[in-house]
Parts: sequence; C-alpha cells; structure tokens
Amino acid sequence: MDQDRKTYRLVRLLTGGVTPVVLAAALLVFARLHDVAWEPGAQAAGICRELIAGTTEGRQALFGSCWVAPLPVLFYLPFAWLLPEPAAGWAAFFAAWLFVFWAVREAVKATGHSGWRIALAQAAIAGMMAVSRQPQALQTATALTAGLMLLAAAAVADWAAYRRLRDVVTAGASGAFLMLCGFPVFGPAGLAVALLPLAACGVRETRVRFQAWLLLGGLPLVYTVGVLLLLNRLILGDAFFFLRSLGYLVPHPGLFLAAVFAPGLLLVPALVVTWVCDARGVKPGAGPVAASALLVSFAVALIASAQVLDVFSVGWHTVTLHVCALVVLLIALTRLRQPMVRLALSLMLFVWLSATWLGGKERAAAPAARDEIGTAVEAYVNARTPYGRVFVLGYAGLDLLRGYAGERLVPNMDLHIGSLRRAYKGQNLYVLVPRPVGPVRAESVFWKHPDIYELGGDRLLFAEAFGAWHLFEVVSAPTQEQLDEWKKAR
Amino acid sequence: MSVVNDPQQAPPKTASSVDPLELSHRRPDWSASQPMTRTQKTVTVALLAGLAVAFLCWPQQTARGLIAACTLFYVIMTLYKFVVIRASLSPNAILRFSPQEIAAQEPRAWPLFSVLVPMYKEPETVKQMVASLASMDYPADKKDVQILLEADDAVTLAAARALTMPPGFRVTEIPASFPRTKPKACNIGLHLAEGEYLVIYDAEDLPEKDQLKKAVLAFETSPANVACVQSRLNYYNPRQNVLTRWFTAEYSAWFDLQLPGLAALGAVIPLGGTSNHFKTRILQELMGWDAYNVTEDCDLGVRLGRAGYTTRMLETTTWEEACSVFWSWIKQRTRWQKGYIQTWFVHMRDPLKLLKELGPVNFLHYQLLIGGVTFSVLVNPVFWLMALVWFVFRPEGVAQLFPGPVFAAGAACLFLGNFVFVYINLLGCCKRKTDSLMWWALLTPLYWMMMSYSGWRAVIQFFRDPFVWEKTQHGMVKKS
Repeated sequence: MDQDRKTYRLVRLLTGGVTPVVLAAALLVFARLHDVAWEPGAQAAGICRELIAGTTEGRQALFGSCWVAPLPVLFYLPFAWLLPEPAAGWAAFFAAWLFVFWAVREAVKATGHSGWRIALAQAAIAGMMAVSRQPQALQTATALTAGLMLLAAAAVADWAAYRRLRDVVTAGASGAFLMLCGFPVFGPAGLAVALLPLAACGVRETRVRFQAWLLLGGLPLVYTVGVLLLLNRLILGDAFFFLRSLGYLVPHPGLFLAAVFAPGLLLVPALVVTWVCDARGVKPGAGPVAASALLVSFAVALIASAQVLDVFSVGWHTVTLHVCALVVLLIALTRLRQPMVRLALSLMLFVWLSATWLGGKERAAAPAARDEIGTAVEAYVNARTPYGRVFVLGYAGLDLLRGYAGERLVPNMDLHIGSLRRAYKGQNLYVLVPRPVGPVRAESVFWKHPDIYELGGDRLLFAEAFGAWHLFEVVSAPTQEQLDEWKKAR
Repeated sequence: MSVVNDPQQAPPKTASSVDPLELSHRRPDWSASQPMTRTQKTVTVALLAGLAVAFLCWPQQTARGLIAACTLFYVIMTLYKFVVIRASLSPNAILRFSPQEIAAQEPRAWPLFSVLVPMYKEPETVKQMVASLASMDYPADKKDVQILLEADDAVTLAAARALTMPPGFRVTEIPASFPRTKPKACNIGLHLAEGEYLVIYDAEDLPEKDQLKKAVLAFETSPANVACVQSRLNYYNPRQNVLTRWFTAEYSAWFDLQLPGLAALGAVIPLGGTSNHFKTRILQELMGWDAYNVTEDCDLGVRLGRAGYTTRMLETTTWEEACSVFWSWIKQRTRWQKGYIQTWFVHMRDPLKLLKELGPVNFLHYQLLIGGVTFSVLVNPVFWLMALVWFVFRPEGVAQLFPGPVFAAGAACLFLGNFVFVYINLLGCCKRKTDSLMWWALLTPLYWMMMSYSGWRAVIQFFRDPFVWEKTQHGMVKKS
C-alpha cells in the first residue's frame, strides 16, 4: 500500500511537475535560439501597457474585437505588471506551455495509463512544436488555446466514456474560457459544450437529466458570452461591438455563422457510436472506444473549422486551430491501449508527419520596425506644430506604441473625430491609419470608415505615408481666436 | 473506555446532578459565556477608532486601502473555494460503505449507540421522530435513545408520555435554568449517555436507516484520532417554496461538496447541527458542547481540531425540514451567523495558541471558514452597491477607488468569483440529482442578500443579546 502511494506520488511529481517544467523551459530556450521572427506576447503586451496605465483604450482593446482574444491578454497582465519586457513575454510563454503540459496530463490520466505514457505525450507535443518551427504555433495565445481545447475535448470524451460529473464541469469551464480565446474557436467551443448533453442521450438514466448536463455544461459559456456583451455595452456603448467586424469582413454573415458551426455534423457518427456503446454497456458510460471516436472526430471538426475560416478569407489564426487538432489527435493516440514501444514509435511518426504539415503552413509576417515608424511620425509632426497629437488607430497602433515613451502619439481604439476635436480643442490633430491587410482589416476603424486608408474621411486630409501606415491631418475651420490672430498678423 | 459505562467508578447520574455548564465553569476560556474578552473589546474599539480617524484625515486613501484589502480577501476566498471544491472530487473526501459491505458484517455484535434528540415545544414531531428512530437498522437492544425535553415544556412532555416508547428509548427532563439552549440539554444527555458512540438528531430529522451502522464502520476503519463522523444533511421539502429551494441548493453544495472537500484537506470542520456521530468518551473529555454558544456544533468542530482530533464525512443522508417561512429563516440564519461570530471570538482569544494547536494550514482554514464567511456576508452589500452605482451612473469617484490592479482583481471577483459561487450551488443540486432546483439556484444572489441582512442582524444581536437562541419553527410542511 505504502509502495503504491509512493509510486503514485512519484508519478504525480514527474508528470505534473518535473516533465512540464523541463519541456516548457526547453521550448523557451529553443524559441529564443532558433526563431528570430517569434516575439512573445506581441499583441498582448501593447494592450497590457494601456491596462496597467488604467486607460479607456486599454479596456476597449481588451474586449473590443472578437479577433483579439481577451484571455491571453488577461493571462499576460500579471507578468507585464511584475516584469519588464521581454522578461514578461518569456515568463508568460513558459507559464502557458506549462499549462499545456499539465492539460496533457489531465487528458491522459483519466484512462488510468502509466505516468510514462503521460511523459511521452508531453514530450511528443514539445517535439512537434520544435520540429515544425512554426512561429505562430509557439505563441502564448496558441498555447493557451491548445491547452484549453485539449481539456475540453478530453473532458467531453471522458464524460461520454465514464460519466463523471467532474468532466462536465471541466468541459463547461474550458468551453467558457475558450470563448475568450478569439472568434476562430467560438465554433469548436460551442460544439464541445453542446456535446455534453448530447453524449448522454444513449441511455434513459442519463437522458432524462438532459437539462442538468445542459445547464452545468453550457452555463459557463453562456455566462461568458453575457459578460462579453455587457462589457462591450459598458465600455464601447454597443453590446455587439466585438462582433461588428464580421458584417464588414464576410459578405453573408448569416451564412458564415452557419458555416462556423457546420463542422459539428462531423461529430454525428461519433455520437451515434457513443449512444450505441452506452446502450449496450453494463457499466455507466460508453467506454474508451467511444471516447476515442469522439476525440478523433473532434480533431477533424477543428481542421474543418479552420477550412471554413479560410474559405471566407478570415483564416488568419488557423494555425492555432491546426495545433489544437494535432494535440487532440496526439492525445487520442496516447490513450489507445498499446505497448509502450509501439506507442513511442507511433508518436514519433505522428510528430514527424504533423510537424511537416504544420511547418508547411503560411507563416505570419515578421513585425515591422515599430520604433522607426513612431520616431518618423513624431519628427514629422514636431516639424509642423508644437501642439500636435497623433492618434494611432487600433490594435496595430497599440503594438506600434509598445516601446514608445513620448506623449505625442497616443492610441485610439474607437475613432470619433468629433469627440477628439472637442476633447483636444486648439491642438493640431493627426490620425495614423494602418494598412488594412490580414487581421488589420477587422479593426473597428475599417468597418466604420471602410475607405479611410485610401481616401481619408470627413475632415481627414492625407499628410504622409510611413511604411504601411498613412498619416492624416484632422482639418477644421479656425476658431474666432485663431481668425483674430491671423488677421492681426496680416 | 467509557466513563459512564462503569457503574463502579461513579454513582448513577440524574439530570439534576449533572452540571450542563461544565465547560464554562472549568474552561471559561473555551466558552462563549463571555462573548468578548477585555483585550478583544479594546482592540476592536481601537481598530474602529483608528479607521474613523483615518477616514476623517485621509478619506480617499483610507477607502482605497480598505477596498484593496477587501478585494484581496475576495480573491483569496474565491481561490479557496476552488481548492475546496477540487478537493471534494478526491476519492478520500467521503467515507463510503455499500449495503453489501454492511451486510457482510453480520452476524456481529454492534456497540451500544447513544442517540440524543433535543426538543422544545414540538409536540407534533414526537411521534414521527420516535417512529423514524425505531425503524433504523440497528439492534434495538443496542440503541440508547434519549429524548431531551425541558421540564417546563408541558405540551411536548405530554405528547411523549402519550406514546408507548420502544425498547431503548427514554425521556430525559432537563431542569429549567439559564441559558435555555440546545447544547445545555445535550450536555445533560451526554452525561447520561451509555453508548460507545453518540449522535444528535433534531426532532424533525429522518436519518437513513443504516446510518448508525455506517457510522460504526466509519469509526472502526478510520484512524484513532477521528473523533467525529458527520453525515450529510439535506431537506425533504425542497419544492415547498422558493426559500426551501434555495436553502436546499445551499445545503447540497455545503454538505455534498464543501464539507467533503474540507475533510479531504484535513481541515477543521464546522459541524452541522445534527447527525454528527461522536466517540462518547472523547466528547466527554472535551466537556461536551458550550451551552452559551448558539452554534455549539461549529464551536465543537473547532475544539476537536484544537485537541488534535479530526472529523470525516460519511456518505449517508439525514433528511430535515427546510425552513419555509421568511422570518423564521432570517432568525435561524441570524443565530447561525451570531454563533460563527461567537466562535471566532472565543478561539481568537489567544491567536498564537490557536495557531500552535491547529497548525498554520488549519489556522488559515479556521480564519477563512469561520471569520471569512461571516466577513464576506457583511461586506458584500457595500460592494454590490458600488458595482450597481458604477454600472448605472458611472461616477468618476467610484472608479478612482479602484486603481489598475485592484480594478482588475475586483472585476475578476465580480464576474468570475460570483459566478463560481452560484455554480457551486448548481453543482451541489446536480450531485444530489435535484435537477429542477438548478434553475432556482441561478437566483442565488437574491438569497445572498437575505444572508447579508441576517448577517448584520447577527452582528447587532451579538452585542445586544449574545445568548438569545431564536428557535427555528418546525412542522411547517405539515401545516402547509
């Protein structure tokens, strides 16, 4: 008994402590040494800077777009508060991958397999990330999303297999957190949560408790959506502000939303298998075969979700979905009953194949030289007026201003020329607009003023181009004082 | 070895020869007979005066400091709930015995089991209670049931006398004296108890038939330092009205999730009012219950912890009657919260000694469970009001009280913490398989407002009438 307990503690220490720490540290070192394009917390750091300063822009940025996930920002926030950059980015990266390896342990241990299997699976995921050399796959946000997706998928599978209440809670909570991981995972998160009551429909005993599973599994997700709507209403004045970009980005939003949930159809065969196994089984639950069927189907649905986004030309974050799918498939493979040697070989093969596929995906462009653009804009404005103020628009603007210490350039998340003129009366105002390509197209400024980058807008006069950015001057009729001064000067 | 089982050592005791206030006489430092010591009064007044001065001199800084401290407290409480609920999933959180395991014990000699049933002015429940205890699956000659009735409670005495008591049942008359509380009656019952083990049931309780056998097995299979086994409590009238629905949801979460979680963590457990099974000898060593404490069960749980004993949870349910009348509920909750305040002050008379006796982890459990829960009930309305004002009017003044990190932590507590607390109730209902109550559990925040009201009522009563025992009226199910 004591020996068993000792072994249990050792395995727990190994798979829950030692291996995750070693692998996360190894990934961090690898990322620092081998990938210059990779930049930890690229998007989160700029938002955190504003949040820590307590600005309205920070709060608007946190919840203002379904394409910029709030969860990675909230995850990054304590690190940004405690540590300077880039240490904050490294620490957040390390912690995020630690979470992934912990999630792997949780996903495998329910099957009762030995600790070595868990350690192998953890190592395989680290290996996949290293071998693929896909910068986006190594991002903190990707790690968090993958960890949560893994927890959700494994919990749904375990729920179908063993009927443990804790799995409903885990799947429900993971689904809710996934809703904070950006639009690409909205569909899969909804599917995972919807599977909870559906997977329990195989036998009457659990079918009659449909409302309990629905409520317990779905409530966290519904609540999260409610909080998002409320915060958008409070902070941005429009409950659906974070979703408004969809109307601009896709021609038929209704069709698009239907397509986002369409991959759920791929789960139907696995559901039928679950019901049949459940109905024929003696013990509660559908057993490990049904669990594997669900996991594999879920991974396929994730890949299909990525395809849907690509088809509608909004597939900027599909690498995240692909990483999620691969991690879920890898776990499905690890959970199969097979000898250790065969498992190790099959994992190696899987890692090699998947890393080749993942590495072949299009890589995100390396970030432009931020400091040069900021300095050039500031110099341009200073040369024209001592009272200039430049509003740098959107999330791209927050990223541009990450290392900026001056006061001339300020971020702006929700452009209202009239409000700016009232707030900064008497100053010479400028607006710096990013080029609307890729995810920048989803910025609120483009669904409010679609042609602003090319044509400017009311009271906006093109001033100068700085790399991919266009600077516009806000022009206005002179005030009475300015007119008097002008007349006097003449 | 039982002190009272050996007739050679002590003369036969009668109710009038027992000192029901033994604890307060022999260990006044463990009793709430003096609600606050002089030092505690001085420190409390000094703290309040200091706060008042700080508010006068530096109002904004003081408010910011207090809000930051409260936010930190909320964060800790939310994380604590997470830890406790996670621990409740542990296989050793609760002691389980299947019917097969119990049946496999037979034939065997079961030990004598004492059952105490304190009653006061509840004539309508006597018959049901006797029938319920008589039908319990335990040898009749091994039951030692005492119905504890106040000598001046003529109606209940008459109802008891009108019944033909089964074997092993007796009525113990409690001489009228101050304080007039349940623990005082129980102390007399404890001294007259003859069993190796002892349990308390309320008059309206319906314990599961095999509960006594499960308790015996629990003691026999647990380490020697397990002095108490707490059964789970739940209500047999959850659907009577909205109040009983909320109450049942709360009890399901408390007894099915939180107490097992605490037991798994080895924490000090604030015992439930009934269905706690004790080793009689240990309870007698600890001088029973504090007759001056209006939540004597909670206090006893802490004293067990201080004496080095532990409490385990047992998977068996005692069905009770949920309070269904608003004012009765308020009075009952006021008493419970007043009792928690009493208990906190009693054991905090010498914090260092408490820390030494409980150990640092259990000391923290004690602070969060006994002090923390009461404190949160009291400060909640202030934060709800601030949140409401901020949502509706968005005044700059409120925003200035929450600097960056405090705002972030406060928002997390508001949106995540409150949800977690509601969700725990839902989970409790689901675990209890009372699915229809889950929808009602969503409205728990309204129930919290009632708790805050009774919390403040408890604070006032603690200073004005510390020993007043507001009796909960039972039998409302039948009346309705």
